[in-house]
Amino acid sequence: MDVLTRLAHFFAPLTHYVAYILAYLFESIFLVIFVTIVLVFMIYLFRKYMARVQLRIGPNRVGKFGLLQLMADGLKLAGKESILPKGRDDLPFRIAPLIVFIGLVMSFAILPYGDFYWIGSLTITHSNVSVILLFAAIAIMPIGEILAGVSSRNKYAILGALRGVAKDVSFEVPMMISVIALVMMASARTSEPLNLSDLVSSQIIPFGIPEVIGLLVFFISMIARASYSPFDMGESDSELVSGHSTEYSGMRFGMFYMGLFGSIFLSSMMVSLLYLGGYNGPFSSDAGFVYLLIKTVVLVLIAFTVWLSVPRIRIDRFVNMGWKYLLPISIINLIIAGIITLGVGL
Amino acid sequence: MIQEEQKNEHREWTELNMGPQHPSTHGVLRLKVKLDGETVKEVEPIIGYLHRNAEKICELDYYCDSLIYFDRMDYVAAMNMEVGYLEAAEKLLNIPPPERAQWIRVIMAELGRIAAHLVWAGAFGLDLGMLSPFFYCFVQREKILRIFTEICGSRQETNYMSIGGVYQDINENIIYMIEEFTKEFPDKLEEIFNAFVKNDIFMSRNKGIGILEPDVAIQYAVTGPMLRASGIEYDVRKAEPYLVYDKLNFDIPVSYKKDNLARFLVRFEEMRQSVRIVKQAIKKIPDGPYFNPKAKKSLMIRLRGEGEVYARTESPKGEFGVYLVGDGGVKPYRVRVRSPSLRNLSVIRHLGKDVLIADLIAISGTIDLVFGEVDR
Amino acid sequence: MVEVLEETTGKDGRKVLKVAKENLLALLSDLKDNGFTHLSLITGIDRKSKLEVVYHLHNLTKNEYVVVKTETLDERVPSATGLFKSADWDEREQYDLMGIVFEGHPNLKRLFLPDSWVGHPLRKNYDLSKVQYINMDENGDDYATFDPGDGW
Repeated sequence: MDVLTRLAHFFAPLTHYVAYILAYLFESIFLVIFVTIVLVFMIYLFRKYMARVQLRIGPNRVGKFGLLQLMADGLKLAGKESILPKGRDDLPFRIAPLIVFIGLVMSFAILPYGDFYWIGSLTITHSNVSVILLFAAIAIMPIGEILAGVSSRNKYAILGALRGVAKDVSFEVPMMISVIALVMMASARTSEPLNLSDLVSSQIIPFGIPEVIGLLVFFISMIARASYSPFDMGESDSELVSGHSTEYSGMRFGMFYMGLFGSIFLSSMMVSLLYLGGYNGPFSSDAGFVYLLIKTVVLVLIAFTVWLSVPRIRIDRFVNMGWKYLLPISIINLIIAGIITLGVGL
Repeated sequence: MIQEEQKNEHREWTELNMGPQHPSTHGVLRLKVKLDGETVKEVEPIIGYLHRNAEKICELDYYCDSLIYFDRMDYVAAMNMEVGYLEAAEKLLNIPPPERAQWIRVIMAELGRIAAHLVWAGAFGLDLGMLSPFFYCFVQREKILRIFTEICGSRQETNYMSIGGVYQDINENIIYMIEEFTKEFPDKLEEIFNAFVKNDIFMSRNKGIGILEPDVAIQYAVTGPMLRASGIEYDVRKAEPYLVYDKLNFDIPVSYKKDNLARFLVRFEEMRQSVRIVKQAIKKIPDGPYFNPKAKKSLMIRLRGEGEVYARTESPKGEFGVYLVGDGGVKPYRVRVRSPSLRNLSVIRHLGKDVLIADLIAISGTIDLVFGEVDR
Repeated sequence: MVEVLEETTGKDGRKVLKVAKENLLALLSDLKDNGFTHLSLITGIDRKSKLEVVYHLHNLTKNEYVVVKTETLDERVPSATGLFKSADWDEREQYDLMGIVFEGHPNLKRLFLPDSWVGHPLRKNYDLSKVQYINMDENGDDYATFDPGDGW
């Protein structure tokens, strides 16, 4: 029994609709808290890991092992003055960080999480087309970034936004083609291949094994989506200062920062759901969420390691790569997936 | 067709001021860039934000006091700056340093060169978006700075040498430290080197970018590793040996590729050669006085110099020249410093045409700018 | 052949050629044709009654060095930018700090100091006790004000 149904049962004395509305509300709040905690943990992990790679110690002052460092940083960000530039376009400038953050939370709300012992399934959205919903939700975040870039009236920000658009256009087509391949493969086993839960549970062997090429294309695209190095041309700190978030400060900047770290977590979770079997694991099915988390953290660490060791790729090279290499490769992958699906179907 | 041409003519270029506060301008460089989309059409460097007029300050001070202003010119290679100034000052004042002091100076200058190149390598990595090699470089540099601290009590602005020798003799402990460093550093250097060159993205960002033809380099009076990366084998240490460089065995690294990568490779090879020099020098260092008795410390302010002397040394950035004019007084009449970074920077006007912004940052990274020296 | 007023050897063993201001460019281009392609340094020296300009030229292939000296009474010297590109910034620096006007320089502006700075600091008669501040007015233009105090 999942959390949502249990909450609905808890509110059952009220009418059916009210109970479900309250259940969704509470689970959403729960989710926001969960996402924040996960992000804080990820940022801490990342900083420690980065420090180790770079022969440093990392945060170790606030709390035990510096665990509360992020709290302190958050308080500092919240207490900071949020400076508004003079030439800004007011409304877009104010809502841009919110759009990024809402897009992130929405994407987390659509993902299936699997079971977690007595708590049950943490999944909120039960939709037949949740794959499409998910990709629609993660497409919201770049809108916030572009809005931020254009509304700041800063040349660095505009250049960053332009780079972001060029980047998005070049990797999203191969990304979606490799997802189509997945849906094709899943359709051999399940009647609802666009449902994320069905897509995950139909992976008797993870899709990443027959579709290594698709996994690679998708992972590269997801790193680019999270604008992590080497694909952080949009906010390349040595060239464009900070890209679209140049003019932001205080909590507004904090939202972009959370968006940056949250999207790498989201991306890794999506890769592990779609390609690595998600919450399917070798032993108890109760621990699905734990399996998912382990896979995700491993992927996040891989992305961090890549970030720490490679320089930034040039934007023209990346656009080249997207159209000349990723796109043909993903089409080849689609053909392979088709052949495999036919084979399974026979 | 005609309409299109007209359109292009009137096309407006975006003017972007990079700096003086910018993450990758190595201090206070301001680049006025005209952009057409992502392509840089024109670069005009604007400098002077760190200008202190050291030349005038030196004119107002005694000969021996000016040294600290030279420390603060190229603040990551203070030892080399001191060598450069003392070469000129000692010739003007006729106080040659004793043999042992010369060997000590060579060791210190070469260690300083390694430290300066390590700073450059780390900062260059940051320019390209590589975070980690910066720390690897700085850990190694810190070992050199620890040796400096042991010698004179200061990490960067050492003020170790003085007219007529060096301030303190080096003892066995320091010799041991230097020997240990030269023993373990080459392996670490290869590690850092591999962290860069075994990276495909790094190579593709640097190969064939920022090509500096040798005739252009000479026109702009470019010196040092940049000139050698353009295929001209020229090093002041060989061409006009000062101190005891003629007694040492080392090579001048030259590259004929002329691009960013060539400058990178030349600087790394220079570090290897510097280790080689230090290894030889630490064995050959003779006993004897480390200070010329003619220049008693207490009497230093009475040193008088007359005539004109121009002395050149090879600093990590290039040919560092000091032109001293004395009129017989206790203070120099005119001090003129030839700062290599200034000339090397001026060539960015040529290199930064029709490149992408990302490449402009990479090119300005390979120039190796230290603003204390450019602005003086 | 260009008329050289005096040929000496300096204290550091470099050949010093003294030349009249009118013949400076001819001598420099002569030297450039003879392989002295590297104009290392331009120095202005304030000799109180006159200004001395010193050019350090270098032949990279033969490894020879030559110092060219000229004098000016009216602060004006022909510019060498047509011969050497490195002369551009060197001359701007000398104009900035020493106040030597290089005639024919395409862009003779101050290199280090703000455009509105008053005086040339390396001159011997520059008043160091006068402290200058560079301010910006509402249009973004600079102007200098002076500290009425003692200075330093």
